[in-house]
Amino acid sequence: MILSIAWRNVWRSKTRSIVMIAAIALGLFAGIFMMAFMNGMYNSRIESATKSELSHIQVHAPGFLDNTESELFIPDGFALAEKIAALDSVEAASPRLIAEPFIMAAHGTGGGKMLGIDPEKEKQVTDIWEHLVDGTYLEKTSRMPPVLVGKKLADKLRLKVGTKINVQLVDFNGDLSSKGYRVAGIYKTVNTGFDEMHLFVNINDLQSQIGIQPDAVHEIAILLKDNSYAPLVKPSVQKIAKALDVQTWKELSPEMSLITDSMDQYMYIFILIILFALCFGIINTMLMAVLERVKEIGMLMAVGMNNRKIFNMIILESIMLTLTGGVVGILLGIGISRIFENHPINLSAFAQGLEQYGMSTEIATVFPSHSLGILIALVVLTGLISAIYPARKALKLNPAEATRTD
Amino acid sequence: MKIIEIKNLHKVYNGSSVSVHAVNGINMSVEEGEFTAIVGPSGSGKTTLLNVIGGLDDATEGSVEIDGVKINDLSSRKLTDFRMKNIGFVFQAYNLIPVLTAKENVEFIMHLQGRKKADRDARTSELLKAVGLGEMMDRRPSKLSGGQQQRVAVARALASKPKFVLADEPTANLDSHSTENLLDIMEQLNKEEKITFLFSTHDQRVVNKARRVITIEDGKIISDERK
Repeated sequence: MILSIAWRNVWRSKTRSIVMIAAIALGLFAGIFMMAFMNGMYNSRIESATKSELSHIQVHAPGFLDNTESELFIPDGFALAEKIAALDSVEAASPRLIAEPFIMAAHGTGGGKMLGIDPEKEKQVTDIWEHLVDGTYLEKTSRMPPVLVGKKLADKLRLKVGTKINVQLVDFNGDLSSKGYRVAGIYKTVNTGFDEMHLFVNINDLQSQIGIQPDAVHEIAILLKDNSYAPLVKPSVQKIAKALDVQTWKELSPEMSLITDSMDQYMYIFILIILFALCFGIINTMLMAVLERVKEIGMLMAVGMNNRKIFNMIILESIMLTLTGGVVGILLGIGISRIFENHPINLSAFAQGLEQYGMSTEIATVFPSHSLGILIALVVLTGLISAIYPARKALKLNPAEATRTD
Repeated sequence: MKIIEIKNLHKVYNGSSVSVHAVNGINMSVEEGEFTAIVGPSGSGKTTLLNVIGGLDDATEGSVEIDGVKINDLSSRKLTDFRMKNIGFVFQAYNLIPVLTAKENVEFIMHLQGRKKADRDARTSELLKAVGLGEMMDRRPSKLSGGQQQRVAVARALASKPKFVLADEPTANLDSHSTENLLDIMEQLNKEEKITFLFSTHDQRVVNKARRVITIEDGKIISDERK
């Protein structure tokens, strides 16, 4: 019955309750939508990073990531990549050779990271081939070996499909090696920083320039069926790779790991700030509700409703008020987020800034459904905390005086 | 059998500059089944006396025993529980819960007592019929007249099967027809069900119905007449 009284009391002053419920609903809607938007934004960053750059797991010779030396290679890397690709939960594995060359073109020079890849295998792991804006995906169209360059680098060095570049690097013997490549294609990902720094060539062409043994690779990039499997699959890969370094994308890119791990915390802090602000409104509403009912509360005390039950009734009333607004806000937030999940928000006006950070200009909002329980708990907690002061105020009433209040 | 026994009761309100001796050494007792009115001018201490008897206010000195229990010695929690089980209250301004129907208002106290639904339903129906509101059980207070609301309040006061009912100026807000009607109902309940009523009142119609009239002035009993 106390539940029923509390619920009916919420609707006693309809306008006041509706205004408060609307404020709670709007506040939570804003918080949830922001949460879904930020989540979508960082998901796009992680997706672009794992799909174009990192994959989900990488294998290297020990020390290679600290010191990119050609001699730190994985012997028999192609066979190892085949073995890894055969594991459950592994979608594909691509062997790569890596060099850090100096690039010379007719209109400028630059540095970068050159990846020697097996185009077909790489296609199964990363999506560079899907981002071609000009030319072909490492198809040999002239006597010179083909190279795939990023749009940003192409713009910087004024490269076009068919343009020749000269690549200088330190070979396996420590000598300077120079080789000419012809631009076969230009790609553009959502990350301009990546586009400026990464060049792709056929693994055989880079192998011959470095002068490394034919079965050697510097890196094996592994794509899993889902990025969340990475920590689970890592031990199986490590078992095959033995003493080699095996790292998940979170270990390879700690800054991204920080984003994903701290995202939830930032979002909860954001929601907490909104709820904290709403707290004052709820306290005010509940205080008015108590002060308007002094006579009634006095009567309840007189007829034998004990302090605990009166306290609970007011707390329940506040929780119901807050939860009503909370549920409306959460449903609204999830609903609108779902709409923009299917129809991504176009932020092409901010393309330059977003692409510098490797973020897509189309953000599909993603509501983190695992947060739903915590959000509801936070709403209930807000209702509870907000009611403590008004409830204590009610308990301080003297029933003899309260029943005679006008 | 004595239901209420008051010995040397004092109640002093200490204000910032003056102290008011609202109840000044009252000794009295109320027997089971009495229909008693406490009368006196405004400020004479009628309501204070009723509040102290009902355990809504503390006594400054003296004791109040109800059915052998000295309520001055009870903790606040025990006193609340004691009120719920032993005392029925009727207030001047009815003090019904506006969001509940007449039936729910009556049922509420039995709910606090933890009584079963079937028991609650039967008692509520019986009481509302007794006060002539059997057809209006599902109406909220806003849909009832003042007299009808006060009759619901009487039914509520009796719901917990109290040892006695304290009614503070129960007819003050009622017209003469409603007053007559309410007094008839209370008198009938008193005679037929031996329910003890103790009123504070200004109303001569209540005084006329009462079988015992206690007059107080300046916190002291100046007359105690039985009819």
